[in-house]
Amino acid sequence: MLEVRSLRAGYGAINVLWDVSLSFPKGELTAIVGPNGAGKTTLFRALMGLVPHQGEIRLDGRALKAKTWDLIEAGLVMVPEGRLVFKDMSVEENLSLGAYPRRCRKAQSRNLERVYELFPRLKERRGQPAGSLSGGEAQMVAMGRGMMSEPRILLIDEPSLGLAPVIVKEVLGIVRRLKAQGVTIALIEQNTHLALSVADNVHLMRSGKVLLSQKAAQVDLDRLHDLYLAREGGPANP
Amino acid sequence: MVVKNLPGILLALAACLIPLVYGGNGYIMGLMVSGLIVAGVALAWALLGNLGGMVSFGHAAFFGVGAYASALLSAKAGLPVPLSLLAGGAVAALSSLAMLPALRLSGPYFALAILAYAHIFKILATELSWLTGGSAGFARFPVLPTIAGIDFSSRIGSYWLLVVMVGLCLLAYRAVKASHVGTALRAMAESEDATRVVGVNATLLKAWMLLLSAFITGLFGAMNAHIINFLEPDYAFSGTWSVLPIIAAIFGGYRTILGPVAGAVAIYLFDQLVAKAILPVGHQIILGVLLAGMILIAPNGLFGLFGKKKTGAAHAAA
Repeated sequence: MLEVRSLRAGYGAINVLWDVSLSFPKGELTAIVGPNGAGKTTLFRALMGLVPHQGEIRLDGRALKAKTWDLIEAGLVMVPEGRLVFKDMSVEENLSLGAYPRRCRKAQSRNLERVYELFPRLKERRGQPAGSLSGGEAQMVAMGRGMMSEPRILLIDEPSLGLAPVIVKEVLGIVRRLKAQGVTIALIEQNTHLALSVADNVHLMRSGKVLLSQKAAQVDLDRLHDLYLAREGGPANP
Repeated sequence: MVVKNLPGILLALAACLIPLVYGGNGYIMGLMVSGLIVAGVALAWALLGNLGGMVSFGHAAFFGVGAYASALLSAKAGLPVPLSLLAGGAVAALSSLAMLPALRLSGPYFALAILAYAHIFKILATELSWLTGGSAGFARFPVLPTIAGIDFSSRIGSYWLLVVMVGLCLLAYRAVKASHVGTALRAMAESEDATRVVGVNATLLKAWMLLLSAFITGLFGAMNAHIINFLEPDYAFSGTWSVLPIIAAIFGGYRTILGPVAGAVAIYLFDQLVAKAILPVGHQIILGVLLAGMILIAPNGLFGLFGKKKTGAAHAAA
């Protein structure tokens, strides 16, 4: 379980997150929904130590260190927005970078086989430069790289970004399978319907605050959309 | 596998054949020895430039520090020369620690910082005359020893020692490149932000590359000192030791492992045997023209041509 309490984060003089408190229960898929500029990506980047922040972050009750590489050693792994694969390097080299943290090197070849089982298409393209892949395949590389880091919790930032609806379905199907393998997952998704179709829990963010935290099964869609679109309650959009 | 290693095998073969053919020719062997010294520094420079992604104009500093450290430690502290050579490399690596703050800089800013940094050591060697002999120079230090009947101070002896040293450095370079660190460094060259996400400590890796590069450069600087057997600041810290390896590495292909070594020997021999015969004074100008031509025609260098052919074939197949 990853717990976040009173998290504040921002870029220089501009504060983005205001006292964000939320949790990601173990073994479950928790979606973060919200409009553009809500601070969803900043939340993930703060959790990964990529953005300066204050507040409390605990993984299974233990406080975490500040540096990204320490966080990854602790099991916090992110699949970033826009995939950020290394275009000039082969698919397999991209995946092997996921095994860069020391604790993941021993089981690297076993993990690689697992990733290829999950994404057979990547096995076909293992020697190809990642820059030659389609958007969906690049997303698979990014998720496979995340799996190579043996995550205790995997933060996936908007995997559907820029993908055709059919591919989005495929990608979300894989997210579901990762969860079935026992990985705790935090997922950013702008599309509430997509998010609710896979998530166990939902947090709605807007303007740097969490406005709603609920079990996905109990969500009142109308209320969620009202909050999402700032039709009532919560702060007005700036 | 044999085809893939062909350039390396040919290079090793040439290294073995040269003393058989020219062993009696002291002049050629002397040129080969100097060429191999430049090759070692070019390799170290390319390691930092290619893997570390940092262009250095200051390798003369590490070269000179290694030279003085080994000469002084063997002469004044009585350290046996094989150990003082390693110590020369270690002191050069130590001196590179002063460069660590500059690792935050990138591109031209790093290049300028290290250029200025190189001068500090030249000034130190000149001013600390009680230790280094100052600008009058420093001559009384031991030559390379004779071990197991091989006189390493002879041209043939030092040639073989240098061939082995360059060979070991090549293997070390290859091992680093093939390791997780090497993959991470290549990824870093593409996108530093993305490597942070993967958990790579970019500054730490760059620091290791700087340290390793400085160590190798210092080692060859020390070798050179014991071969030449005379040191003065203007020589040991000469800009030549910064510039010649760069020319050699770029000419040979600094993104390849063998390129800098082949480039260094080729460039040095060409400069001494051909360019000097054409233009006794200012023959370096021919090197400049050659380098400019090389950058225009084959920007990836001599050994880059091999790689280029390969990608060309891949495109044709696809």
